[in-house]
Amino acid sequence: MKFNTIIIGGGLSGLTAGLALQKAGQRVAIVSKGQSTLHFNPASFDLLGYDATGAAVEHPLQAIAALPATHPYSKCTNVEALAQEAQALLEESGISLIGTAAANHYRITPMGVLKPAWLTLADYATTEQGTALPWKKVALINAIGCLDFPTKFIAAGLRKAGTEVDVKAFTLPELEKQRQSPSEMRATNIAKVLSTANVVARMAQAINAQIAGTTYDAVLLPGVLQNPDLVAQLKSQVSTPVHFIATLPPSAAGVHVQTLLRQRFIAAGGVHLTGDKVVGGTIESGILKSVTTENLIDTRLEANHFILATGSFMSGGMDSNYESVFETVFGLDVDALQVPSERVKFNVFEAQPYMEFGVSTNEKLQVKKDGQEISNCYAVGSVLSGANRVKQSCGTGISMLTALQVVKHILNK
Amino acid sequence: MADLQINSESVFNFEQCLKCSVCTVYCPVSAVNPAYPGPKQAGPDGERYRLKSPVFFDENLKKCLNCKRCEVSCPQNVKVGDIIQKARMKYSTHKPGLRDRMLASTDFVGTMANRFAPIVNIMLAMKLTKTVMHGTIGVDKHRQFPAYSAQRFETWFKRHAQAEQSQYSKQVSYFHGCYVNYNFPKLGQDLVKIMNAVGYGVQLLDKEKCCGVAKIANGLYDQAKKHGKINIDSIRKAKEAGRVTLTTSSTCCFTIRDEYEHILELPQEDVRESVNLATRFLFQLLDEGKIKLAFRSDYKKHVAYHSACHMERMGWVVYSTELLKLIPGVQLTMLDSQCCGISGTYGFKRENYEVSQTIGAPLFAQIKALAPDCVSTDCETCKWQIEMSTGVPVENPISIIADALDVELTKQLNAN
Amino acid sequence: MDVKLKDKYDVIVIGGGITGAGTARDCAMRGLSVLLIERFDFAHGATGRNHGLLHSGARYAVTDQESATECIQENTILRKIAAHCVEPTDGLFITLPDDDLAYQSTFVESCKRAGIRADIIDPEQAKILEPSVNPTLIGAVRVPDASVDPFRLTVANVTDARLHGADTVTYHEVTDLIIDQNRVVGVKMRDQRTGEIRQAYASLTINAAGIWGMLVAKKAGITVNMFPAKGALLIFGHRVNNMVINRCRKPANADILVPDDAVCVIGTTSDRVPIEQCDDMRVTDEEVKVLLQEGARLAPALASTRILRAYAGVRPLVASDNDPSGRSISRGIVVLDHATRDGMEGFVTITGGKMMTYRLMAEMVTDLACKKLNVSKSCATATTPLPGSEAKTAPEAMRTYSFAQKSADGRHGTYTKDIHTPDSLHSALVCECEGVSVAEVDYAVAHQNVTNLIDLRRRTRMGMGTCQGHLCSCRAAGELCQGNHAQEAAEDLASFVNERWKGIKPVAWGAALCEAQLTATVYEGMCGLNQFVKEGGEK
Repeated sequence: MKFNTIIIGGGLSGLTAGLALQKAGQRVAIVSKGQSTLHFNPASFDLLGYDATGAAVEHPLQAIAALPATHPYSKCTNVEALAQEAQALLEESGISLIGTAAANHYRITPMGVLKPAWLTLADYATTEQGTALPWKKVALINAIGCLDFPTKFIAAGLRKAGTEVDVKAFTLPELEKQRQSPSEMRATNIAKVLSTANVVARMAQAINAQIAGTTYDAVLLPGVLQNPDLVAQLKSQVSTPVHFIATLPPSAAGVHVQTLLRQRFIAAGGVHLTGDKVVGGTIESGILKSVTTENLIDTRLEANHFILATGSFMSGGMDSNYESVFETVFGLDVDALQVPSERVKFNVFEAQPYMEFGVSTNEKLQVKKDGQEISNCYAVGSVLSGANRVKQSCGTGISMLTALQVVKHILNK
Repeated sequence: MADLQINSESVFNFEQCLKCSVCTVYCPVSAVNPAYPGPKQAGPDGERYRLKSPVFFDENLKKCLNCKRCEVSCPQNVKVGDIIQKARMKYSTHKPGLRDRMLASTDFVGTMANRFAPIVNIMLAMKLTKTVMHGTIGVDKHRQFPAYSAQRFETWFKRHAQAEQSQYSKQVSYFHGCYVNYNFPKLGQDLVKIMNAVGYGVQLLDKEKCCGVAKIANGLYDQAKKHGKINIDSIRKAKEAGRVTLTTSSTCCFTIRDEYEHILELPQEDVRESVNLATRFLFQLLDEGKIKLAFRSDYKKHVAYHSACHMERMGWVVYSTELLKLIPGVQLTMLDSQCCGISGTYGFKRENYEVSQTIGAPLFAQIKALAPDCVSTDCETCKWQIEMSTGVPVENPISIIADALDVELTKQLNAN
Repeated sequence: MDVKLKDKYDVIVIGGGITGAGTARDCAMRGLSVLLIERFDFAHGATGRNHGLLHSGARYAVTDQESATECIQENTILRKIAAHCVEPTDGLFITLPDDDLAYQSTFVESCKRAGIRADIIDPEQAKILEPSVNPTLIGAVRVPDASVDPFRLTVANVTDARLHGADTVTYHEVTDLIIDQNRVVGVKMRDQRTGEIRQAYASLTINAAGIWGMLVAKKAGITVNMFPAKGALLIFGHRVNNMVINRCRKPANADILVPDDAVCVIGTTSDRVPIEQCDDMRVTDEEVKVLLQEGARLAPALASTRILRAYAGVRPLVASDNDPSGRSISRGIVVLDHATRDGMEGFVTITGGKMMTYRLMAEMVTDLACKKLNVSKSCATATTPLPGSEAKTAPEAMRTYSFAQKSADGRHGTYTKDIHTPDSLHSALVCECEGVSVAEVDYAVAHQNVTNLIDLRRRTRMGMGTCQGHLCSCRAAGELCQGNHAQEAAEDLASFVNERWKGIKPVAWGAALCEAQLTATVYEGMCGLNQFVKEGGEK
């Protein structure tokens, strides 16, 4: 099977690269081993949230300019333009967003913390400043029995920012039924229940009943609605402005983003090898000729270019054992400390060295194996070394921007 | 520390689970049937405790459709579905009743039904029969039974096709499966038509039994094993004679290639790679330039492709769709990959009917909104479910290719 | 849980490990008024950091007949009185090709002399009984080892002490002994959470603080010659074995593999450490290596099995008084009457021994206490079942139970009936790996002195499963959070996530590291939990 480009990894960076290459007329395949970290996405995208001292970043573009040369952003030639392109790509895929690369806004986390963000799904609660909220008084309303939306913590966070909060809860017969399962009252399963106009109309009624008699500036709900039409319906039927706050994973918002990007990729003719895994490749004189996968066994997948978008440890792009830290698909050269006790620090909230481990790339994001460059194979996203995505809040930004940067390298060749 | 902690392993990778819960997002059952513990609980979570004591086994695991979408979604390669099926096999004390045995015995029931096909079809379509079956044995009354064909595929093949097969220098075997044999011989005829056109003769297997998927689903493991052994032996004989064995059913194919080994523990490693799906076989020949296909210019169809669960699990959707894309007159739309809810015999059971239709609802809505000329899928039970639930005809990709094929031109192209 | 102290107790027991808990129970059952004081949570120290092995005594048979006899006697007793804490797995003592098979007969003879059933079985038979065992074994002996849950055992003893009128306080550190001339009359203790100093008085103070007992004794100017011996262990992600596996040779490093609940534990190492280190024990790379190398010899599957965490405990070994050098260290039980030994009235120390001989230790020190207090009631702990073990529910009856109820039954025994699940809200799972429901969390908070997530973990196994708390700890924190204490609850959550990490850190590779990254992504990245880290508040 022949393609212009084969992308290994179907998460945010892989899909971004795939969609951008398709736009340029390429025939693209994505090989995706299981689902991606978008399932842990808090309904936001971040460029750079915190600087090296841990202080919240106000103007990410300026702060990015000050990052070291080893940071993936330093391999992006025009961060501002790429950020705009990334935002456009998300919006074209049907994702409504607020935010801009010029200045961070703040999202509300499931622990009630305000964290800086670049783009947030338009229906989710945000604020311009890191210390105050745009509402005097809100109703925070959970679905009864949803343990993944800790209202006590969220309410405490909102109160700390000076907003008065009433914590309430609603239910519906459909949710009562779902709750019979002791483990499956998860946000994404609730989203499957709240999936028809009829149910959402009754949900609106239930919420209106909760807020009747008191004036609120906003109703804050767990992120359990996916379909934009239903969100619009709910907003029109609830008497007070409605905003969502992300739940603990799996994230309904993240699933929504993943689904839209994937659908668009497939609708445009992209080949999506779902649940398949690249198990080997043929490298001849510095060129990756083809790869083979677990499911397609003897079918050689050939392409002019390959993009490694396999993610970090939790996604399976990187792995480790007692002896070493390694890249899982091709055994590429990595930037990592190999002695187990040096990979980690004693306290969990310290900057953990392993977080920055990843594939070693040159300035064009091309990878190496045994010291030799593979000129048609690029790495993008969380598999790249040089950034602590958790500490700096920069994971989704790196995923999209490095993907778009590599697309430029490929198209300019 | 030589080879200590270099690899991390566990049976079906159950311990590699990171508890990320992504599988629960893609499980078609847990969102609609709260009695089912969900793939994570039923699979890797439950397995840890079942290792401590069988007391932790939950009979509700039978509510799993075995669609394997949990496995497809798992980033850690945990064989969630296998863990669940294996646990059922190991710990369940539930004995299948008459209804389950009937539904599972696709081949026996098929043999009987073929003999009296016109009567059986009318009977099965009658409201009274449906009500009686609903009330007595628990086959849901809403369900349309697939019609039984008056002539079995094997009978047709022996009477009308077998003789001429030996003229081809290249040969394949065909595992037609119960559906082609009893309900829909046309699909088998379509395959013979295509294979002959590209210069391949088609042979039946020495002995073919039901692949056993329905028996596994209904807990008849010993019977499934017995039949599995017969099938493996036949496939092995075909292999020794230089023939690969093709199927036109993704489920039969998946069962023989994967479930025989994983669930039934039947040794089949030596023949696994000689069992192939017809579309994959054709694609590979095309890809390697070994055959050519020519299509009729007057063939025009909007086809919506549905990725059947086991097709998705095998990862072979791409072969069928890339083939369909080759037909100039086909406009192909990919439906969102999701379970149709039938899962073989699951949806036929009274207690599952509602769940089954709820699971399929988003897919049916998508199909109705799209209104294609036909839906294409590689699975026969998806065909029943989608036809019954949407009224849109469903065709196997092989049938679409056969219909669109310019047989004479294809024969000429492959003459050498 | 604020306890109103009595003006004076008969007995104060210092130390809420298994020895202190057992002593409090025994004293209370004999009609004494008791105050049990624990510095952190019950089973915080060595009690909660061992194998969870209910020795048959076979391990000590060759080297220490006295210990072996004590073990088998207590083993038999605990199976009866603590049935819900004990899983009768039986154990194997295997001989590998590089071990001396001749040792086996010495071993079996010694076992028999100590009254321990020890059956030599065919190696092939051993492989059938325990498929994970090293297949190259050349000899096997079957003994009545079992697995025991030290958390449950401790809590059951505390519960029974309370049922018999004892008061218990946790998170109170004894800062001073109140001494009147040559008599200990009470203690000063600091509430670890508020810093408040409280006093309590008693006729007799029993020092049952394990290795920390030497520091308690010091407050009375008394020297107890103790030798902290660190033992490191590894927990694997699932049960590799269903029988205890030991090496049939003289006791050495990492030669016992115990199936505990849904995991298995290999241990231990043994190294003397300074007393100052005992509150902050860290497992080293070297210890992990030894445990893995030796562990894989017992069960080869360990070489490729996911490790959940590493931890270490301190054995309170005591040197006899006439040997200050510590060369003659015994693992036997030591009761020190400081009145006769040091001329300090009202103060005794109980130490040495093993987790599984706690009841005998408690009996011995309670006998002494009763003698001093002129109470004549005799000990009944050997025959009275602990709360939860009264009459074990037949396993067949469990089939209708939910996963949570079945797993709770293993933790609370007959008390599972008190875990009320009136509706689906209460039967919802907080911890999915270990099957801990909302109702069980509520029960632990209401009845088992749970004040924070770490306490909750010890009572329920919440956060002890494969994900080490990534999925459940936020849910549990939400459930624990009361009134307007969200800030404290969030801080507790941050400290719990950190506590889990400390055990993962020494074995952070493979799936454990992936899991850790996922946990960090969710709690720090998604939620911002790092903003709730309390400066220097880590315990």
